Amino acid sequence: MMLIVGTIPIKDLPLTLGRVRAEGEWLALNGHSIPCTQGTGAMISAALAATDYLKLEPPQVLVAGDIGEGSGSRQIYEYLIQRVAELSPQVLALHYCVPDMALMRRLCQSIKGCAKAPILVADAGSMYAAKAAGLATEFDLFTPDATEMAFLADPDATHPAYISKHLFDLDISQTPKLVADAYRQRSAAKLLLVKGAIDYVARDGEVLATIAEPNIPELEAIGGTGDTITGLVSALAYAGLKLDEAAIIAARANRLAGRSATITPATKVSQVVDHFPAVFQELAPQKEETKMVEIDVRGFSCPIPVIRAKKAIEEKPKEVITVLVDNAAAKENVSRLAKSEGYSVEIEEVGENFCLRLSPPKNR
Amino acid sequence: MVFRKRKQKTPFEGGGVVLFLDVHDAMKAERVLTDAGHLVKLVAPPPALRKGCDLAVEINLVEKVGIERLLDQKDVVYVSIAPLKVETSGLLEIVKVTDFGDWVMVKAANMKLTFDKKEGIIVNTSGGGCPDIPYLHAELIGKQLTQAPLPRDIGFTLCALMLNRALEEGIKLWSGGSSP
Repeated sequence: MMLIVGTIPIKDLPLTLGRVRAEGEWLALNGHSIPCTQGTGAMISAALAATDYLKLEPPQVLVAGDIGEGSGSRQIYEYLIQRVAELSPQVLALHYCVPDMALMRRLCQSIKGCAKAPILVADAGSMYAAKAAGLATEFDLFTPDATEMAFLADPDATHPAYISKHLFDLDISQTPKLVADAYRQRSAAKLLLVKGAIDYVARDGEVLATIAEPNIPELEAIGGTGDTITGLVSALAYAGLKLDEAAIIAARANRLAGRSATITPATKVSQVVDHFPAVFQELAPQKEETKMVEIDVRGFSCPIPVIRAKKAIEEKPKEVITVLVDNAAAKENVSRLAKSEGYSVEIEEVGENFCLRLSPPKNR
Repeated sequence: MVFRKRKQKTPFEGGGVVLFLDVHDAMKAERVLTDAGHLVKLVAPPPALRKGCDLAVEINLVEKVGIERLLDQKDVVYVSIAPLKVETSGLLEIVKVTDFGDWVMVKAANMKLTFDKKEGIIVNTSGGGCPDIPYLHAELIGKQLTQAPLPRDIGFTLCALMLNRALEEGIKLWSGGSSP
């Protein structure tokens, strides 16, 4: 399960846990309507666009109304502290909440009770709290913007409003220095995706990748376009991509959606989200170039998955074959078949499904 | 003799202090804030921040705007609100301005506000991470700069304070005719 956690700017929205679905410009959740605007609404919308496209189960979300007075944030955190081990999400993305160091400390302790450690993502107020409480290194991914990166690099700042002037003044090209400083001070998550005019993906103080094209400066003005990147990378990690690959694709997809929507500084984030399906299709042909055969046999029990896999092996003997199944018996039977043909088999859990990557023997 | 285990209090790490001249005011502030649902703690002020009273109220610094408003509404006299760590810099005062042709974006710390040059209408706000920011986004967009509610009046957090700074600068640029 992928779990997105954050507040919604509707004062009376009660604490709610459930699956979302899109309804025009709104998200439907257990009878409530959530706007796809700046904040957790935008993040959920982007994640939902990605899970829909990838045919994965939609994100679970834990939300509460909060317009800044903090009660909804505290409800969310208290609930999660009690229930996170039971929920045991594969990806846990923490978002807009009043930053509270003590609550974040208790939550991180509770997360240790999960049967399997979730991929832990933080952005917005949850990231502020994690850094201020000295818990950054417990997280797999932070997604700061350039100013928030300066906040992570400032050892004395407990909020971006208090960063040192000389750090605020730094040009975007200086981001690698801030990245290195943040890692040295243990104020960074294991992976950073820094969002800005140039997006940086960094690990252990080193920049792994930069994404600068297409260059769409107007994205910075549109409230929610940073949130959409965080939603995309979380969903792609849930789909089984390596976190650094997911970060690079998310940053690029966001830019492409901005270009496709022909945005201005007055554009709404929902108009950018509307373009994600087309962008995913634009990115998808790159998969075919790697000569990969994909078989989706979810909903079928054996022998159908084995028969389909065997047919692909016979027809495309030199190509990598990915097989998506939804039950353990199919996983075992397809693996056995592939190994008997000399294939190497990698298996990844993707939500409640299994993705089998069958690579042919090199001498074929 | 049996020692009872002391009931464990909810842990609290606020990062900020309200400073007072008088102990009475500090105690009144603690009561007002607790009654309003804020987690606070009476503490000794760090020596470098002491303003004449040996008692201060530790608060979640992020909630500075909402707490200032509440204390003013309840006539609680205080000197200032400061970060608990004396190494922390003061609030960021500077802003940056980006010209997008028909629009101008003003950035204060992590908050950005964009308005159209011709009519002075706020077309977007972005950045930030506290829960009042999506709320302020909805409240400000579509309003004329001088008619929009001030984030410091309806927001609660440091992010709201930075958005307020961006709005004030936007008003200055637009009404002064000095927009780029």
